[in-house]
Amino acid sequence: MTSPVRVLAAGAAAPARRLSAADVAAAWGRRGGRGQVGVCAPDEDVLTMAAEAGSHALAAAGLENDVVDGLWWGTTRPPFAEGPSHAVLASALGLSANSGGALCAGSPHAGMDALLGASDAIAAGSARVALVVAADALVPGAGTSFEERAGAGAAAVVLAAGGGQASLPVRVTRTHPFLDRYRSDGDDGTRDFYDARLFREEIFLPVVQEVGEQLAALDVDAWSLPDPDGRLGAAAARTIGGSAPASASVYAAVGDTGAAAPLLGALGSLDAARTVGVVGFGGGRATGVVINAEAPVAGAATVGEALSGGQPTSYAEALRARGQLRAAGENIPMGVPPESALFVRGAEEMLGLLGARCVDCGTINTPPTIHPFCISCGSTKFVTVPLARRGVVHTFVVNHTMPPPFEAPLPLAVIDLVDGARVMLQVIGDGSDMRIGADVELVLRRYAFERGVPVYGFKARTVGGARTESGSEE
Amino acid sequence: MGWNRVAVAGAGLIKFGELFEQSYEQMAAGAFQAALANVDRGIEPSQVDAVFVATQRGTLWGQEGIGGNTVPTAIGLAGVPCTRVENACPSGSDAFRVGAMAVASGVHDVVLVIGVEKMRDKSTEEGLLSRAAAGHPILTRGETAPVLFAPFATRHMNDYGTTREMLASVAVKNHRNGARDPFAHFQNEITVDDVLKSPPVCHPLHLLDCCPQTDGAAATILVNADRADEFTDTPVFVAGFGVATDHPYLHEKQSFTGLKATGLAAERAYRMAGVGPEQVDCAEVHDCFTITEILDIEDLGFVEKGKGGIASLDGETSLTGRIPVNTSGGLLAKGHPIGATGVAQLTECWWQLRGEAGDRQVETRNGYTLQHNVGGRGSGVSVVNILTTNR
Repeated sequence: MTSPVRVLAAGAAAPARRLSAADVAAAWGRRGGRGQVGVCAPDEDVLTMAAEAGSHALAAAGLENDVVDGLWWGTTRPPFAEGPSHAVLASALGLSANSGGALCAGSPHAGMDALLGASDAIAAGSARVALVVAADALVPGAGTSFEERAGAGAAAVVLAAGGGQASLPVRVTRTHPFLDRYRSDGDDGTRDFYDARLFREEIFLPVVQEVGEQLAALDVDAWSLPDPDGRLGAAAARTIGGSAPASASVYAAVGDTGAAAPLLGALGSLDAARTVGVVGFGGGRATGVVINAEAPVAGAATVGEALSGGQPTSYAEALRARGQLRAAGENIPMGVPPESALFVRGAEEMLGLLGARCVDCGTINTPPTIHPFCISCGSTKFVTVPLARRGVVHTFVVNHTMPPPFEAPLPLAVIDLVDGARVMLQVIGDGSDMRIGADVELVLRRYAFERGVPVYGFKARTVGGARTESGSEE
Repeated sequence: MGWNRVAVAGAGLIKFGELFEQSYEQMAAGAFQAALANVDRGIEPSQVDAVFVATQRGTLWGQEGIGGNTVPTAIGLAGVPCTRVENACPSGSDAFRVGAMAVASGVHDVVLVIGVEKMRDKSTEEGLLSRAAAGHPILTRGETAPVLFAPFATRHMNDYGTTREMLASVAVKNHRNGARDPFAHFQNEITVDDVLKSPPVCHPLHLLDCCPQTDGAAATILVNADRADEFTDTPVFVAGFGVATDHPYLHEKQSFTGLKATGLAAERAYRMAGVGPEQVDCAEVHDCFTITEILDIEDLGFVEKGKGGIASLDGETSLTGRIPVNTSGGLLAKGHPIGATGVAQLTECWWQLRGEAGDRQVETRNGYTLQHNVGGRGSGVSVVNILTTNR
């Protein structure tokens, strides 16, 4: 009860699109289908959502990004099955090159693994400030029973050894080696339950109940409970003796967000002094924690807004964005190999959005590696600076004519950032909101799959107007 | 100046178009033969001392990337010194400038400048459009050719009230000229309405605001002016040239209402020729897109900055206007086989000065014509050549 771990701030992110469960049901000849789930646009994925949620949490904490000692990231399916998932996210978040942490993956329990790992690091004193990000963009096997509820979203919290308005006083884990939903190396989508009723009666409800009852001893005010199929959440709430869990509204907005679900379902309740019980489930494990907020946690009040909105998308578009519907043949090979020298030189400056500020005249040259001499005064003396992430459109185009896998229309804009740097970037949306003088913010997006691996960079998004869907390449 | 004057003794081109039936080598040979045939008093191929070949895209499936090696054999001159010149869209005009310098220096007396470009052996997707994913992995992603010019249209329209109708009037005029040019890819007239209603390619540019994908080849024969009389009674001389560069990436530009490289190249060419824009009788300028011609005529000094759109709409650049521009049909109607483009423009300038431009002949009162290209990533390079009949 005297855990030193404090929660400084929270952040959340949802994908740009929403898929109606009725569309999924209809595709398989079923009636009904309740509600909607969040689905990524073709230029979003688990990493871009993680970056957005993490940025929000760090901003709410009021911390400079480089004071973070470690990033603990939990996701069922990292963007690189093997590869630099954690390093790319840390770089895009502007964390120090010396930051640590861990990538937890392999089941929807990964979000709780990340939370516990970060909490342990704080408790052990090996980290003073830890960023926890739990994110998922589930890829259900087509036609599976939980496909209608499989969603996407991200949650983040900043933990520290002191300060903040909330603590993590208790944790419980129960392990039981059974197989429910799973995916082998050869599978695109996650497979269905073998026997849904067996799972519910013998596995899910007993395990969740056991964990939940231990948390309930702390007089929990609000619950975040797992709900993998749209019914189990309510059943779990009944076994613990409560009414509908607070997490139900998150499931209604974006569906089952896998590894993100436990935290995402809890963060909104931290907008006031409450004791919140959080249960995460998956991969043969259930873990419960209690987050005890003595006062509103920074950023918690914005979680609902982060999950609201979203553009409707069709089942076919969702399948395409998830990589489950592909065009015949191969795309024309082009672009720069992502393991080539150009990426080695450019990775940090593009992911970290860096510029070279001329010591003599102040001009910010972007990106640094292609500007040995200042474009304004010819000086060769620079300091590397992070670029501002807000700006104004100076001029723009909307490209309608590109080969696959680009998706038209694709707006591109020359943007004057508030720090005086000028950049040219793709813009999220169909261009209908583009005008000279429009205010934009820069957000991480997946630019392409190049030779099978994701390539990330920043795009602009108009602010102040309606949130539009994104879409460029898959 | 300490250099020899240079004369254009012959020039010619092949009919531009989608030349699926011709190889790179056959196109080169056709252009060479056309230029030879247009030398008034004839010339023996063996008199050619050196060849400069312009081919911009060394990325197709043939041997274009090593055109300096390929072309001599293709035109029956194996053994001759030959060098490929690549300088983006001005490759042809820069090869002409380099060839002229080789004569001017006294190293060579007779130089062949030949531009050859295969644009259509690859599909549009795998050819021109694939640059959407070429270059810098993030900085240039999605950047097809019109993306390099459309931001200028957006800004020119915003700052000067230029309209889509003004842009369209450029395409209409150039197609009208192209209909009178037997070498043009497109020889049909179009209307403003056709342009406005054509599908969007890259807002605010639509299909008929854009030049086509065209195969082609063109050649000029440059000689020491002291020997011009051996070849012709009506010599045309190189009066001046200028080349200039600018920052290559769009985000490095300060202004989106003009192309800095064009202005600099023109300033240098005018100074060398000892003339100003008001003495130019007609011009072949780089109209890869309609907005480009509007920027060109401002940056070359033919009209005041900001007035290019209204001047085009008012017919100032038509065959009968104050300063006829792109009498050949321009890139919009004649086509834009990149390495050949500048050389073909110079051929038109040569014909206009000699009074051989047929239905599209304009009055050449001062005896000066100007040729211009601009290109590269973000219009980072421009070349201007000025020809004259004045001795």
